[in-house]
Amino acid sequence: MRHLLALLLLACSQAPAQIDLSGEWGSRYTWDYLERLPGPELGDYLGLPINNAARLKANSWEASTQTIPERQCIPHGADYLFSRAGFPMRIWTEEDPVTEKVTAIRIRSYAWGVERTIWMDGRAHPSKYARHTWQGFSTGQWNGNVLTVTTTHLKWNYIRRNGVPRSDEATVTEHFARHSDYLTLLTYIDDPVYLTEPLMRTSGYVLDPQQQLEPFPCEPVEEVVRPEGVVPHHLPGTNKDIQEFPAKYGLPAATALGGAETMYPAYTIPSGPKPVGSPRETASGLEILPVQKNIYMLAGDGGNITLQIGKDGVLVVDTGLASMSDQAIAAIRKFTDKPIHYILNTQVDADHTGGNEAFGKAGNTITGGDVADDIGGLDKGAAIIAHQRVLDRMSSSAPFGALPTDVYGGKQKDLYFNDEPVVMLHQPAAHSDGDSLVFFRGSDVISTGDIFVTTSYPVIDLDRGGSIQGTIDSLNRIIELTVPAALQEGGTLVIPGHGRICDEADVVEYRDMVTIIRDRIADMLKRGMSLDQVKAARPTEDYDPRYGSNAAFIEAVYRSLGRGK
Amino acid sequence: MLFATLLAASCLCAQEEESGAPVAKPVAQKTAREEAPIDLTGYWTAIVTQDWRWRMVTPKRGDFPGIPLNPEGRKLANAWDPAKDEASGEQCKAYGAPGLMRMPTRLHITWQEDNTLRIDADAGTQTRLFHFHSSKKETGDPQWQGTSAAQWEFVRTKIPPHVPGPIRGGSLKVVTTHLRPGYLRKNGVPYSGDAVLTEYFDVTTEPNGWQSILLTTILEDPQYLTQSVLLNTNFRKLPDGAGWNPTPCSAR
Repeated sequence: MRHLLALLLLACSQAPAQIDLSGEWGSRYTWDYLERLPGPELGDYLGLPINNAARLKANSWEASTQTIPERQCIPHGADYLFSRAGFPMRIWTEEDPVTEKVTAIRIRSYAWGVERTIWMDGRAHPSKYARHTWQGFSTGQWNGNVLTVTTTHLKWNYIRRNGVPRSDEATVTEHFARHSDYLTLLTYIDDPVYLTEPLMRTSGYVLDPQQQLEPFPCEPVEEVVRPEGVVPHHLPGTNKDIQEFPAKYGLPAATALGGAETMYPAYTIPSGPKPVGSPRETASGLEILPVQKNIYMLAGDGGNITLQIGKDGVLVVDTGLASMSDQAIAAIRKFTDKPIHYILNTQVDADHTGGNEAFGKAGNTITGGDVADDIGGLDKGAAIIAHQRVLDRMSSSAPFGALPTDVYGGKQKDLYFNDEPVVMLHQPAAHSDGDSLVFFRGSDVISTGDIFVTTSYPVIDLDRGGSIQGTIDSLNRIIELTVPAALQEGGTLVIPGHGRICDEADVVEYRDMVTIIRDRIADMLKRGMSLDQVKAARPTEDYDPRYGSNAAFIEAVYRSLGRGK
Repeated sequence: MLFATLLAASCLCAQEEESGAPVAKPVAQKTAREEAPIDLTGYWTAIVTQDWRWRMVTPKRGDFPGIPLNPEGRKLANAWDPAKDEASGEQCKAYGAPGLMRMPTRLHITWQEDNTLRIDADAGTQTRLFHFHSSKKETGDPQWQGTSAAQWEFVRTKIPPHVPGPIRGGSLKVVTTHLRPGYLRKNGVPYSGDAVLTEYFDVTTEPNGWQSILLTTILEDPQYLTQSVLLNTNFRKLPDGAGWNPTPCSAR
């Protein structure tokens, strides 16, 4: 008997809290009706702890950017959808069929039919190289009666629907508290790129058992006919719309621009801006992440290495740094015992071709019977394929074993390997004049080399034939090739030269950034500004906290435009 | 035998749940301070990251979109005259309990005595008293802060199937009535003396160590509202009283 009671008490102390959030939850718009339904007014940044970079990005925002087909079906991010938009939603739980323990809490919003999963089974968050999504990756735990949810891996979104940005480096913490028929949500957003202090805000829902969530289909259409490559935005200092808000409500213009001090009573708590962030990529640790179907990404070796693995063997796109070759090959060998038959180089740089020699030696070339018999040694080493320009550049400096063994000089090079077409598409003037996109048509994955990266501004090598217009053209080419799945997410996946796995929306965000900065510098050039004056005008200020050092990029854009390309 | 044991345990816990103390071994009722599942004491500051234009400054007359006022309430709000309030000594109308917690204010929360939690607000220099275990009748003239009955809402671990276990946390529920008619929003959005204010206080801890009060507010007023108003507000804990700045009520 005593033992039984002890067991019962033990069970008491170990069981989770039993708060049930399940049900149909309706929105209540009272004080914040205007911001949540019609939307906030342009230039209203009141109470937001944002930095100058966020302000410039918001001031540059042009509402018609939402009409770009690639942006029309983008849903609100998890932090905005549930804490600000506050559409009706349904919550339910999923249990382990054996233990009956809750493994996940699911939320479906009326808006776009978005579904979120909050994992309750103690799993870890994914690798930093894993793909980001609109709803991110969420884990939850109960603290008393409050469910606390941590979300990472979010795509770029906004914290106010008038262009105030939230970056893809943000971590969001949410607290859900239920009282009777009321559900309250406190959201805490920590964004080292655009916030000087965490942003906290609240939202409320009312239980509504009669509620039914209607479908919310979205199909992009051509809303505005505009020339190819145009990204709507305001050049710095030209957005007159944002001046209307403070004037309309009799507020000082500086107050409307927000800042941490504006969110406290009487602005009495001083606050200094946080140090500007910088890219956080480190070279430590190699990871192999599945992308989709035949494709994997080996990250952590300077440039990303794309792996295509199938019954025919292994094809790699780029080979990383020479200093990391042994570790990278060992990592692949742990993953598969298939031979490396092909190496495809997207460009000439050492962080993408440095491992050519070692990777080549680790593999072999597929040769026909007579050839292999008659000419000994031809099958030794994997075939290395690149554009002619890559061979031209490498010939004078790279060891013989690192040189491409098979080059192409036209627009594209086709292979068929592991049951899918693999197409190398020459990009004549992007990062350099020898860049290739590698499109795995069966797996629906594009490996971009340094034409697209998530860790820095584009590196444009003018001396090797790169240009700003060619970079933008190539980014647009990637967007042409990609087809997103529902809600502008997933579908064709993109492996950048550096950084995490992406999809079309990530490339669109990056393309817009590059185009906007190009337009700003072009405008400055038109006004006769020198390079030093352009740099002093800080045309990249709104993106510097995210992408770090800007000097080389500004100079490359300036000089490229000066050459008329 | 097993069934009887479970039943006995079930009864014991069930009685504890209802009364706050085990019936099998009577003990003196704990004070609200002793049984508090969360600590609300200390200095706190409002964080106004939303609804700024209606909270940090006084909006213009008629600026009340989204508030479910009935025609009578709308008529009163549109007739708002701060000069008239000042002349009649009613400049604290926006600082009553329903409006006070939406003000850009700091709070100082203390135990006035073991069963009375006290909230001082520096905005308008107001004081709210939350009475636990109180069966006092509402007497006297209605006040800006009304009469507040408080109770802890405990969260207990459950032993399947229906046996409540130890307390794992909780929140504070406060129901305020007997309010002197005032303003929900500073620009004259009215609530009546019949209004009932229900509030839930939760405490959360953020990744950077900040502690927050998450306040859920439901205002029901059959006289001026067509449906209840749901508001959510958050406060951040301050290390001390530095910055505490009591100010008088202002009608403007």
